[in-house]
Amino acid sequence: MKRTTIGRGLFLIINNSILITLVLTMIIPLLNVLAVSFTTDMESYENTIKLFPRQPSLIGYITLFQRVAILRPFLNNIFVTVIGTFLHVVFCAMAGYVLTKENFLGKAIIAALIIIPNMLPFEMIIIPVFVTVKKLGLMDTLWSIILIKVISTFSILLMKNYFEGIPKSLEESAFIDGAGEYAIFFKIYVPLAVPGMTTITIFQFVALWNQLLPAVLFLNSPEKYTLQIALKSLVVSQELTSTTQSVANNTRMAGIVVAIIPLILLYIFAQKYFIKGIMVGAVKE
Amino acid sequence: MKKSIEKLWLSFNKARVLYLLVLPSLIFFIIFTYFPLFDGIKISFQDFKFVGKSSYVGFENYIEALYTPGFWRVFRNTIIIGFSNVILTAFIPMLLAVLLNEVKFGIWKRFSQTIIYLPHIFSWVIVGGIWIFILSPNAGLINAVRSLFGLDPIYYMAKEIYARPIIIGSNLWKQSGYVCILYLATIAGINPTLYEAAMIDGAGTLKRTLYITVPELLNTLKIVLLLNIMGSLRMFNQIYVMRNEVIAQKIDVLMYYVYERGLVQFKIGYAAAISMIIFSLTLIITLISKRSLKYSI
Repeated sequence: MKRTTIGRGLFLIINNSILITLVLTMIIPLLNVLAVSFTTDMESYENTIKLFPRQPSLIGYITLFQRVAILRPFLNNIFVTVIGTFLHVVFCAMAGYVLTKENFLGKAIIAALIIIPNMLPFEMIIIPVFVTVKKLGLMDTLWSIILIKVISTFSILLMKNYFEGIPKSLEESAFIDGAGEYAIFFKIYVPLAVPGMTTITIFQFVALWNQLLPAVLFLNSPEKYTLQIALKSLVVSQELTSTTQSVANNTRMAGIVVAIIPLILLYIFAQKYFIKGIMVGAVKE
Repeated sequence: MKKSIEKLWLSFNKARVLYLLVLPSLIFFIIFTYFPLFDGIKISFQDFKFVGKSSYVGFENYIEALYTPGFWRVFRNTIIIGFSNVILTAFIPMLLAVLLNEVKFGIWKRFSQTIIYLPHIFSWVIVGGIWIFILSPNAGLINAVRSLFGLDPIYYMAKEIYARPIIIGSNLWKQSGYVCILYLATIAGINPTLYEAAMIDGAGTLKRTLYITVPELLNTLKIVLLLNIMGSLRMFNQIYVMRNEVIAQKIDVLMYYVYERGLVQFKIGYAAAISMIIFSLTLIITLISKRSLKYSI
């Protein structure tokens, strides 16, 4: 009995050490980024371990907003993310609701048309999608990157599952009271499906905020750039090939901090939806 | 005849609100998925031009791909990096989940879960940017530690030998928390009476883990493997962000090659043919792995 206790104690010590190491490998890089973003230009180039700035300074952020002009891409990103998420939730909820209905004319075809795209990753059709967007005259517009992922099979199916959990009797009694199909959907189903809609809102918000490939493909003019493209050229400066460093490390790390603050706020306030959504997401994909 | 048309019209009319509700989604999929898919098949057989008439060239684009060394190089890179990602990002998080589950102190457990999930919600621009900076010879964290010991800085992002480990390692850093939470959710769903029964029979922690937890995790493992395989074949953003000309030979993957040939050099037909090859491969691999993992969606 005593041996097991010692063994158990030893296990707990080793186990917790592993986990502390793990958590530190996650935290230290982030802390390093945060610290460097608040250093002076000089200090940001010193070859020292920086977990907090020696002389705190806002110069990195000032350069970021004045010389790098990150505000425009930041606002573009907010525009794309907010409009795109709103449309996504409305359209996917509508389609998800339709899939809960039984036996209407063409249901099988509609369901197939919605489910098949799940097997076709966007990355694999970028060439013809590029051609299509060009033909539609959407090239170099923010609408191109809003529309390109405005619907997803995943969200439609998630909403379908959510609507299916709502008792049919509610609908029937509303029908008897003379409510039409629209009223039943918007007044009864939508309010009851708010948690499901919150889940897809959060996932779509993160996806659109981080969206890179469509922006790389469709946007050319710098005033249309979204945050990820602007950051890419800022953060990933080719320090190997270029001899002159135009932007100091503190400004680059400030760019990273500015881009992740909205995500971290969302994560803090909506954590339970993240965890809930992950499991559904994995099973559906 | 007339009667059946009337009947059709009646059932159409009955469902007309439903059609309106589903219409935006259908239009979207037709314009941005189905049309490009068929257009892509067509383009892959063409010498495509934006201006002027595109001519059909038969299988020329496909044949060109199979005879281009560049294609086989990125193919090899995709297999090597992809395979490592699939395995590492499935098993390491599993080990972590089993360990994390043994932590009894609630706040610490929740805290560590919250932290390790965090990198998953960051974009590859952010994660790539963080790691390029940390590995940089210019005040990067790792080289700062090396200088403490009087060692010379290493140009990690400019050495071919480090290129693939950096890509695989940063992917592990970004995704392991997410995968770990998938496993933890499964463990949380295991019937506690199983553990109680095992405890009464005198099974220790190790035995309970090996004979109850791990077998229950196998189903989730299958899902994770499938997700990782799909993810590896479509890998683009990470390479787009982290590549540079010095290490490109070691890490350029298929989707990056498609982008570069098609939309930088504008060899649209050739790039479309390669997309089609990757797409068919993806379908085959997915079907095979689904069958061999005995898992169906």
